[in-house]
Amino acid sequence: MSNQVLDRTGARKAPLFGLPAVAVVALLLYLPFLWTTYVSFTDYDGLASPVWSGLANYKAMFSDPDLIGALVNTLLWVVGMVTLPVALGLLIAVLTYGHKWGTWLRLPFLLPYAISGVAVGVIWGFVLQPDGALGQALGFFGLPGAHTGWLQAGPGNTLMMIVAVTWQAAGVNALLFVVGLQSIPAEPLEAARLDGAEGFSLFRHHLWPQLRPITTVVIGLSIVGSLKTFDVVWVMTQGGPGTSSETLALSMYKETFVLNDYGQGAAIALFLSLVTFAASILYLRYQLGDAREQG
Amino acid sequence: MQRNTNRKALAALVIAGALALSACGGGGGTAGPAKGEDKPVDSLKFYNDKGGWKDAFTQVGAASKKDVGVGMEPVGYSDSNTYTAFIRSSFRTKEKADLFTWHTGKELQDLVDQKLVAETTDQWTKAVADGNIPEQLKQYFTYGDKQYCVPLNAGYWVMYYNKAVFKKAGVTQTPKTWAELTQVADKVKAAGVKPFYQTNILFSFVWFETLLAGKDPDLYDALATGKAKYTDPGVVEVMNEWKKMIDAGYFSDPGAKTEPQAQLKNGDVAMINFGTWFSGNLNTLKMKAGTDYDFFVIPNVNPELPKTSMIFETGPVCSAAGSDHASTVKKWTDWWVTPQAQTAWANSRGDLSFNPKAEVKDPGLAKLNKDVGGDGYRLINRWFEATPVPVANKALEVFGAFVTKPGDPMPGLQKIQAEADAYWAKQK
Amino acid sequence: MSRVKTAILVVLGLIWLAPVYLLVVNASKSVDGYDAKTVWKPAGFSLFANFGDAWSKAALGDTLVATTMYSVIAPVVAVLIGSAAGYAIVVLRLKRGFLWFVFIFGGTIFPLQMILMPLFSGYANSGLYDTRIGMIIVYTAISVPFSAFVMRNFFTGIARSVFEAAVVDGGGLFRIFRSIYLPMAGSALAAIFILQSTFVWNDLLLGLTLSQSDSVRPIMPALTGLQSTYGGASLPTVLAGGLLVSLPTVILFLAAQRFFSRGLALGQF
Repeated sequence: MSNQVLDRTGARKAPLFGLPAVAVVALLLYLPFLWTTYVSFTDYDGLASPVWSGLANYKAMFSDPDLIGALVNTLLWVVGMVTLPVALGLLIAVLTYGHKWGTWLRLPFLLPYAISGVAVGVIWGFVLQPDGALGQALGFFGLPGAHTGWLQAGPGNTLMMIVAVTWQAAGVNALLFVVGLQSIPAEPLEAARLDGAEGFSLFRHHLWPQLRPITTVVIGLSIVGSLKTFDVVWVMTQGGPGTSSETLALSMYKETFVLNDYGQGAAIALFLSLVTFAASILYLRYQLGDAREQG
Repeated sequence: MQRNTNRKALAALVIAGALALSACGGGGGTAGPAKGEDKPVDSLKFYNDKGGWKDAFTQVGAASKKDVGVGMEPVGYSDSNTYTAFIRSSFRTKEKADLFTWHTGKELQDLVDQKLVAETTDQWTKAVADGNIPEQLKQYFTYGDKQYCVPLNAGYWVMYYNKAVFKKAGVTQTPKTWAELTQVADKVKAAGVKPFYQTNILFSFVWFETLLAGKDPDLYDALATGKAKYTDPGVVEVMNEWKKMIDAGYFSDPGAKTEPQAQLKNGDVAMINFGTWFSGNLNTLKMKAGTDYDFFVIPNVNPELPKTSMIFETGPVCSAAGSDHASTVKKWTDWWVTPQAQTAWANSRGDLSFNPKAEVKDPGLAKLNKDVGGDGYRLINRWFEATPVPVANKALEVFGAFVTKPGDPMPGLQKIQAEADAYWAKQK
Repeated sequence: MSRVKTAILVVLGLIWLAPVYLLVVNASKSVDGYDAKTVWKPAGFSLFANFGDAWSKAALGDTLVATTMYSVIAPVVAVLIGSAAGYAIVVLRLKRGFLWFVFIFGGTIFPLQMILMPLFSGYANSGLYDTRIGMIIVYTAISVPFSAFVMRNFFTGIARSVFEAAVVDGGGLFRIFRSIYLPMAGSALAAIFILQSTFVWNDLLLGLTLSQSDSVRPIMPALTGLQSTYGGASLPTVLAGGLLVSLPTVILFLAAQRFFSRGLALGQF
């Protein structure tokens, strides 16, 4: 049977398989967001009816000096999250994969994800507080920095929170990389090994290219997730001291939920979503576009 | 099996579709509540942002069931922002809250302006006449000559202290004047303990409030109503005084994540300035009132003032206007303000009650409750409720940065004032 | 080489376990035995008493059934919907597949906080508010983009010849999906399931906003009631509560490990 015939057989019924996903996402995620989009062009306090205000919220947003700070912090998060947890996740996956005790050695990295957010927030709070667990440990080993207020000044506080999130996210990335490794067929690898490839060279030339689909997933999700960073910052510093660790998602939350300025919050949300969308589409277009041509 | 799941998923989708359509309509549609028919029920849901009080609420619910046949089930939230947003949205839906906690000041004003909250003028008149609610409280619940909601609690802000630390530092008497308080702080500091608790999240305003209210309560009130500016000399003076105290090492590390009650218990700090509900937190840690900890009234910074400034906090219990259960709500809130109900409520948390006739078991709190009713005190609305939300939010950012790294207060105060100017301009 | 790998893993692993150690040690201290200056030092063992405290104070028992339901059903449905989408896009070469994919993936882009309130109004007006089916639907929707993304990319790794052979054998498209593609994706399905299940289990915001009664509300809103300025629980109790509700997800990760232990074919490289 020729490829064209196959394609036609599949393509005719294919929408049926794609429809449930599209429908559920459209109804529960897109529709509410459409409402948010509308609100971003209005003056709305959550009580009275929204009053159309055109671009006022957007003008206010771009003339707010704190926005630049939040934008810079958000970019810091993106850079931090597509490097640290991804690299560590890959390292853990490659080292444990095929290792005799691999499943057990991987476990410490998975635990943090399984632990509930409440406990994680409290733990990192007292790891990073001045003279907290980290300070005490440094002091014990006679290292400098025992009295550092890790969360007390920017951009250091953002960096320390990236470390905290790396602790939680690296294991998840490792797990996804393991799934990627499992989908690699064994034969070509055996052949490469017979040709004398081993260690880093085997990884670089034979494994890494094959990991590309899953790397796309991991990095794609990291970009989206990091742009939306909220929880950890809200729990640990609430964006402070001052606004030194505020991210865009936090500004959005404050406007909406603290100040009841739903319109302003929605405008930031829309801006944030556009940035996220652009970043992830550029990345995915590049990654998946290439893959499509090959496949 | 799989096919079955798929069919279920499909069914779910159809329902989701219906809901999403109505979500679109629900937003822009009918504001203003429709007058519902009255349907008495035998139990009410009580929405609140005080998830930690679940036990106490449940006990009160059992008591009301017994006394008047109307039960109450708490629905607790712990994040007050999510809670506020939830209640605000609920007025547009048929899930109107029969009973919910709220904040006095601008937040309640918003609801009253939109006619979303039920009026309680008759209940107030009766409760004040019966002596169940002090007349002084009325102003916080009054908007345009009418009253709304009833009080949930009342808290006075006092200075808690660790008795063991005071003993170690050789402090034998609680301070009666600001000068004495400073001496106590010096003694405690000499004994190697940080005198006062301070934080850079949320409660960063406490010392600003204490210093300003104790120095110039008129300026405090003027500031809250937009009649004075944050850049006025009196405010700057307070900030500088605060900075001097921080520089003198009077405060604990504002970045500490350890709960204040644990810091007091462990003797990391000697004194904490908190509302009387803090007694409950300390009791949770098995500290004993009068033995392990106690509290004293914070003396005025300015000894010339005729009355002692007492920071005061109260929250309302409200009901949505046009509730289907209005008669049940009235029955329950009538019961709620009685001494019987308030005795149960106060003691379930080891706290005070707004009702002076409630029998408070903790002798220290009972005495305070009586004293404050007397002439020597000037009640000051807590800064957090007294200050408009956007101004308070900006100020909390500024205070948080200030206590972490004190410097020239002026740039920060200008930021707050800019926010205040914008706010008050919009009100006129 | 192998020894170096093991050494790296052990050192890294110990660093990773340090916060877990802090959690366990401090959750085991007695209610009044916690001191910020000695967080590393174990002191007493009241873990089970604290478990009990947290359990009764937050009334965790009431929400257990509902939360378990959500974190099993929603991820399963989401995994199926997501892999069907991945199958359609990659294997069946859905026309404009990239657009379909971008649309589905786009669902993850919106900040959750901003869709909460419209969702609540929709739920309240349609009668889904405070129902278990409503919670399952929303958790499913939120999990679909992730599973579609992972499955889409997983299926690209499977050779085209598999599909060709299956069609030649005369299987219907649904059967090929069910009996060939899904079984091949075992580890990916398992990974998505445990990650999403953990996400649902740990969700706070959706549960808080879309439900109120004890039998519908998931476990996290109940747990955070312990942590509150106005009369919260003591720190060891909060930590013990956090640890206690994490046990099911930890066990889930342990149980699912066998899905990821294969691949010995690759051996050491």
